[in-house]
Amino acid sequence: MKFFTKDKTPRGKILAYCVLVFHGAIALLAPVLHLTPTDEQDATTMLQGISFDHWLGTDGLGRDVFSRVLHGGRPSLVIALVATAIAAMIGVSLGSFAALAGGWIDEALSRLIDFLLAVPTLILLLLIASFFGQDPVILSLTLGLMYAPPIARVSRASTQILLARDFVRVARLQGGNGLTILVNEILPNIWQVVFNEIAMQFTWIILAFSSLSFLGLGVTPPTPEWGLMIAEARSYMTINPVSVIAPICMLASLVLAVQALVDHE
Amino acid sequence: MNNILSFDQVCVEASSAKDAEFPILDSISLNLQQGESLGIVGGSGSGKSTLLRVAMGILARGLSLASGTVVTAGVDLLKVGPEMRQKMYGNKIALVPQSIGEALSPHRTIEGHFRDTLGSAASIEKMVDALVDSGLEGSKFLHRFPHQVSGGERQRILIALALVRSPELLLLDEPTSALDRDVAAEVLATISRLQVKRRFALICVSHDFEVVRRTCGQLAVMNNGRIVERGPTDHVLTKPTDSYTKALLDSIPKPNHRIRESHSIGSHSVISANKISVIRGTKNRVLDSVDFKVRQGEVVGVIGQSGSGKSTLLSVICGLVSPSSGSICNEDGFDLSIPLAKRPSNITSAIQLVFQNPDDSLNPKRTVQQSLSRYSGATVSQLIQVLESVELTSTFLSRYPSEMSGGEKQRVAIARALLTQPKILLLDEVTSALDVNIQAAVFQMLAKVQQSTKMAMVIVSHDLELVASFADRLVVLKDGLATEHGSAQIR
Amino acid sequence: MGLNQSSSMLFGGKISAFRDGNVKSILQRVFFSTCAFVALAAVAFIGIDALPGDGCTALLGRFGTDEQISKCRIENELDQPVIDRLGSWANDLVHGDLGYSIKRDQSVDEIIIPRIRNTLFLGLVAAVIAFPSAVVIGLLVGRFPKSRVGRIINSGSVIMMTLPEFVTATILWLVFAIWIPIFPGVTVLSSDASLAELLPNVWMPALTLAAVVFAHSMRTTRAGVSVVQMMPFIESARLRGTNERVILFRHILPAALPPVVNAIAVDLAWLFTGTFVTEAVFNYRGLGRLAIDAISDRDTSLILPIVLFSLAMYLTMSLVADIVVKILDPRLRVERR
Repeated sequence: MKFFTKDKTPRGKILAYCVLVFHGAIALLAPVLHLTPTDEQDATTMLQGISFDHWLGTDGLGRDVFSRVLHGGRPSLVIALVATAIAAMIGVSLGSFAALAGGWIDEALSRLIDFLLAVPTLILLLLIASFFGQDPVILSLTLGLMYAPPIARVSRASTQILLARDFVRVARLQGGNGLTILVNEILPNIWQVVFNEIAMQFTWIILAFSSLSFLGLGVTPPTPEWGLMIAEARSYMTINPVSVIAPICMLASLVLAVQALVDHE
Repeated sequence: MNNILSFDQVCVEASSAKDAEFPILDSISLNLQQGESLGIVGGSGSGKSTLLRVAMGILARGLSLASGTVVTAGVDLLKVGPEMRQKMYGNKIALVPQSIGEALSPHRTIEGHFRDTLGSAASIEKMVDALVDSGLEGSKFLHRFPHQVSGGERQRILIALALVRSPELLLLDEPTSALDRDVAAEVLATISRLQVKRRFALICVSHDFEVVRRTCGQLAVMNNGRIVERGPTDHVLTKPTDSYTKALLDSIPKPNHRIRESHSIGSHSVISANKISVIRGTKNRVLDSVDFKVRQGEVVGVIGQSGSGKSTLLSVICGLVSPSSGSICNEDGFDLSIPLAKRPSNITSAIQLVFQNPDDSLNPKRTVQQSLSRYSGATVSQLIQVLESVELTSTFLSRYPSEMSGGEKQRVAIARALLTQPKILLLDEVTSALDVNIQAAVFQMLAKVQQSTKMAMVIVSHDLELVASFADRLVVLKDGLATEHGSAQIR
Repeated sequence: MGLNQSSSMLFGGKISAFRDGNVKSILQRVFFSTCAFVALAAVAFIGIDALPGDGCTALLGRFGTDEQISKCRIENELDQPVIDRLGSWANDLVHGDLGYSIKRDQSVDEIIIPRIRNTLFLGLVAAVIAFPSAVVIGLLVGRFPKSRVGRIINSGSVIMMTLPEFVTATILWLVFAIWIPIFPGVTVLSSDASLAELLPNVWMPALTLAAVVFAHSMRTTRAGVSVVQMMPFIESARLRGTNERVILFRHILPAALPPVVNAIAVDLAWLFTGTFVTEAVFNYRGLGRLAIDAISDRDTSLILPIVLFSLAMYLTMSLVADIVVKILDPRLRVERR
């Protein structure tokens, strides 16, 4: 834990950046490296510990844990990136527009956002995943829609604060209309706060999808995914603990790295 | 050798280049005995507030004592531990800081505040006595919360809290800067009376000479961390020897001394407003049936206390606020009661407004050039020209707001308003946040601009002398009602 | 006016009265929340109904013939149009009848009520573990951020908060059920078991949930405290010689509370409605476990009440939080004569 006690100084942030780059590299390069195919089962080598052939051992079906772990981030990352992009686009435009428009439009949109926030997210995800098959497109869309409201809320609040500032009123006096004011005055001043919120939601989406996979409703096996791997490996934790610990470390380090970079308290 | 407070060649430095924007102190020496009162006057950045905190043994982050010693009530507070300092606060020495924000905890009653400072020696009697001494009817206030008292009452409560344990030394930082003029006068009288009665040593820090004149026998002027002049108050005010002091004193608007001469005023009105009312909520009449006219080339001053509706009047004229009733039109009869968004661009460019707070009126992420040209589409040479008219060089084009002083930012804001060559320029308390010598310079620049462009102006301020020395005509607003006071020449 | 009097009695006269405007706004909130609930309930009904399959297909599975399925539907009135069913369902609901699960052949309330009880029990245990310690620790860490202990707690809480529930659950399970066997690994009791019998099984899931929730409340408290202690009135109090402990508990804490109240309310709602994964890991027979089973069974008559319960819980908690924040704010009090 030593390196975490200084997470305000650059040292912590540098570490977080490295972890992120590491994850990015692995996610991109995994298929290119000559790894053991992730679904190659071998009944003779089940549940073996660390060995030269299998750097992290094998799982209950004889598959190579090391290569599965390296590939395991890709599904969540892809879905999370797409969903986050959707959530960001919807959230920022909805939130800033509500604040700019003011009046009853703002009221109505805020009520809508509160409405959406009341929806129990995991139930909805479970329902959709269960009833519509585990289609990644539908899941990304759902995740994007569900995680847009918090982003909308932050966008709206930051935009409102900015609208009260004199230089925005000056822009109106100088002839700026809603759109030009949004782009020129507001966005440059709110993007940092909003981006932080978007990054936080990104981590929640990753976790939601991993939880979904953990419950068996995310990726379809045999696709490797960290949540799924943890669920499968739980039953033989005592025999080959590495098969549980490895995906846990990967998932935790990714989420922690993003949060460490984004969180500034 | 009864010094309650003594500074001996105190030098305070910023420990890193980044903190160098904090005021520092340079060879400060002073002695204060029981019963004496010293006023310290200086602009922002002069170090006067830092001096008070150093007297309390507090050094802000990034500052360190380079040399010299400070002894307060017999103790060197910079060298003892925090518990010792806490024992002294309220007991031997007390500081009432500048209360721009809230100085009283919103979740605690006034009585609670007294108990905090009196500890086990608390009694209702002592609290009521302290409040009465400060000019308040004690028992009424004890159970109130801070949001239930007015600004003047709050200041008196703060003074009562500071004096309730009868300290030997009282330090006041800008005691009246947040108060209206007449309330301020009463508070200053109370301070003076208390000081005579209780014989504590007093240091009063302000940017306003008037505050010091009414409360302190001695006066020191600070500039850039040094004391540049010191002496009996009357003496310094009437016969200053230092050049900075002279500049400050000269900047104070004097009665019957005009910054600007009136000249050709056209006959037809650029703005003509009839019975304008602005009502917020159901009861609050921010403006009540106000008639208002500005003629071509005329400068009208609007004065009033805070809350009198002056800023709202300007907002109505430029269209940021729509009047609840009444009519307002320009010289061509165009109805100006429609909101800003619906006005055609030639109308909006003819009426421009400059805001009070220089820190807020420029986009912090944009350079001067970008802020000026974004909506006006002006060429670089046009920008340089307008910057020259506000006495700024072209080097300012590439600067960000964080790289400029308050006065410079305000000049840029004025330049931006001038770009569209408006027929009327509205100025909302544009120098209230600036030091008095910068204020004088800005108004002299405005006088030149008005002379060359012959545009109409409306100047809003709470400072009567300043406006009277500049405007052709005065309008006084009180609680939303307007009274005309005729030509400013006759006061 | 009755509300005013009862609030002053409730707090021993600590509050004299609410200004009328606030009572009005609270009633408005209640009204809006109720409308939101009704609207969301209708949306939920129609939405869940729109999902492929219904109670009959769940019962008969893949092997039911078309004949059997349509017979079952007519019997159970599942062939009526949506709006009619919505109406009769709403009608039943208002009269307290939660419906009937075709697949399990039981009335819904028989199934759900014990589960709700179990989950509420779990949530409360987690809340009692997490919230008081979170606020106290948040207060101290916010007040002394640079201390070594403060930084360790900070980092520890970041980790606790970002580890997915199932990871924390798995780690706890590994430690306390396998390596140092204190707690039972799985719950073998039925959902009707008494609370006392449930006690040994409640600790690990409660600890897991507490870990997630603790971090959120602690950080909200800490953030509130850091903001508040920069405010001018804190320095002002210190300069008057106020004791540090008084400053912490009487000046900083009350000012920092509002966002904490909101965070606790949201977390409480989550503790009662969002615990699927943890209950799944420990096989705890609560509402979350039931939800997962119901969804995999496609038992829509169960899913709907569970969704409604979540909605109601969330809306109620937000409302209660808003009311509490308003009560705590002295700016809303009327001056005594």
